[in-house]
Amino acid sequence: MEKVRLVVIGGVAAGTKAASKARREHPDWEVLVITRDKDISYAGCGLPYFLSGVIKERKELVVRGPQEFLDDQNIIVLTQSEALSIDPTQKKLTFRELATNQIHTISYDHLVLATGASPVLPPLPGIELGNIYPLRTIENAEDIRSLLDKGAVKEAVVVGAGFVGLEAAENLALKGIRVTVVEMAPLVLPGYDEEMSQYVRNYLEEKGMEIRTGARVRGFTGNLDGKVCEVQLENEAIPAQLVIWAGGVKPNVALACASGLKLGPTGAIAVNEYQESSIQGIYAVGDCAENTHLITGDGVWCPMGSTSNKTGRIAGLNIGRQDQVDALPGVLGTSVIKLFELHAGRTGLTEEQAKAKGYNVVSTIVPANDKAHYYPGYQQIITKLIADRTSGRVLGVQVVGEGVVDKPVDIVATLISLGGNLEQLSRLDLAYAPPFSMAISSTILAAHVLRNKIQGKFVGVNPGELGVILAKGDAVILDVRTEAENFIRAIPGSLNIPFNELVLRYQEIPQNKKLIVVCKVGKRAYLTLDKLRSLGFTDLAILEGGLEAYPYEVI
Amino acid sequence: MAEIIINARGLQCPGPIVQLFNQSKQAGSGDVIKIEVTDHGFTKDVQAWCKKTGNELVELLDQGGVIYATIRKC
Repeated sequence: MEKVRLVVIGGVAAGTKAASKARREHPDWEVLVITRDKDISYAGCGLPYFLSGVIKERKELVVRGPQEFLDDQNIIVLTQSEALSIDPTQKKLTFRELATNQIHTISYDHLVLATGASPVLPPLPGIELGNIYPLRTIENAEDIRSLLDKGAVKEAVVVGAGFVGLEAAENLALKGIRVTVVEMAPLVLPGYDEEMSQYVRNYLEEKGMEIRTGARVRGFTGNLDGKVCEVQLENEAIPAQLVIWAGGVKPNVALACASGLKLGPTGAIAVNEYQESSIQGIYAVGDCAENTHLITGDGVWCPMGSTSNKTGRIAGLNIGRQDQVDALPGVLGTSVIKLFELHAGRTGLTEEQAKAKGYNVVSTIVPANDKAHYYPGYQQIITKLIADRTSGRVLGVQVVGEGVVDKPVDIVATLISLGGNLEQLSRLDLAYAPPFSMAISSTILAAHVLRNKIQGKFVGVNPGELGVILAKGDAVILDVRTEAENFIRAIPGSLNIPFNELVLRYQEIPQNKKLIVVCKVGKRAYLTLDKLRSLGFTDLAILEGGLEAYPYEVI
Repeated sequence: MAEIIINARGLQCPGPIVQLFNQSKQAGSGDVIKIEVTDHGFTKDVQAWCKKTGNELVELLDQGGVIYATIRKC
């Protein structure tokens, strides 16, 4: 009897994961991986760090090669082989060996598509010039690194301020290169609300990075050698000897489309929670497949390494069985990034996304520490927590700062996955000792603050709303920090009366105006509310996150 | 020229910067203030403060979790 044959098309994260899992489930199958790339199973997410030499060797990025797959797992890998067509009725696959141009047609019993995603390089004038690269493959990373190692790059432009773009920009800056990041969208770092994104942007600019948002690349100018030397924007030309195009990727779905597989609303391959496509027996995993948002149930596309590996595993488990053994119900868009010493993590919906989906959104911003304030090396992190006011359901979190952010993000991601609410979040029994957390962890603190807000104990003003409120002219900012703090950094136009001088000096506060009370993190402002009420002030609000989380103009 | 030494170790923000602010009011032009702080946020604060006041930040060190700042009043 002939062996059952599983063919996996694509061999980076999801493809090799699916193949490995299926092999463990079915020792008697023949498992074949076909990939266009030269390399397989490489750490795509590690490429930015290879540029600066944080990751030194190529072999650190390539987890395993075809020979290891054959020797260790009896998985046959055909590299530099491009799948051309699938015949789902006959269960046949045609592919071409790129080296020899030979075309083969083979039969399969089971099929997994892991065709990934590719960078979209638009046909701009000059795009064909030398030293313009995407950063998607090891080859890209090696080309860029050899250019850097030659000392040929003093200035670089990174197009796209998503994860890969910003990580690439950071690693170029670490090499002493003057970097300009050009982003078409109004904000850097997708998945964050405006004020949190602005905080990250300020940090990057303080580190010397140039950032242009809402900016479109019009084209590239080259030198006599045919290498890029300038990037043209609408109103500006930026000198650059290297351009990294990280302006977005698209799922590779041509083969799937031609084979009759349905696409989802995002343009990626539609799959169910078992990773099975619209054609029975054909599975799709990794960046080419669509995901479901756990909160909204909408189709979303989250091409992340973490999701890729999970979808590969699920397909490997379920393929070739009548009963489904495991499922992936969805994703939350959980992500984390390190940029210099700044960390940023997020999960769930942003405030803006939650509003657009019709939730009764309430949010708060709370700066706190990642460890006990008396333990050396503690750092500040700023938590923005988002919930539904009516149900108390937690909808999302964004955490930024130089401290540990992945832990709080993971706590909230877990809670959301289990359908938890704010009350439950505020009552979690989390690990505590001074080197690890505050006695009341930053996440629980944020949950308390948000519960206080829902219960009407204070009215909060988001930093992004402050300008709008002030422009109306009927509000005053009351800064209750010490004179010294106010001297160093203050919001323009604020009135400084330190917390402990209020009773003596309250007559300086204009009557019949809305008072927006400001302090460093929000705590003193909150504690001041009672005193102000007893002094006869009624229209009171506090600035969410205080000066620490305020990302706009200060003097 | 006087030398003023402030031990603000163990104080959280705004403790250290308030001490520096108040002591500097007492100091005369050319006096040197040395301050030791364990609160991490002080690094940014002392730089901003010197920039605003015009006082000279002679030295700023972070050693073993302690920030040592030396300032010469203008």
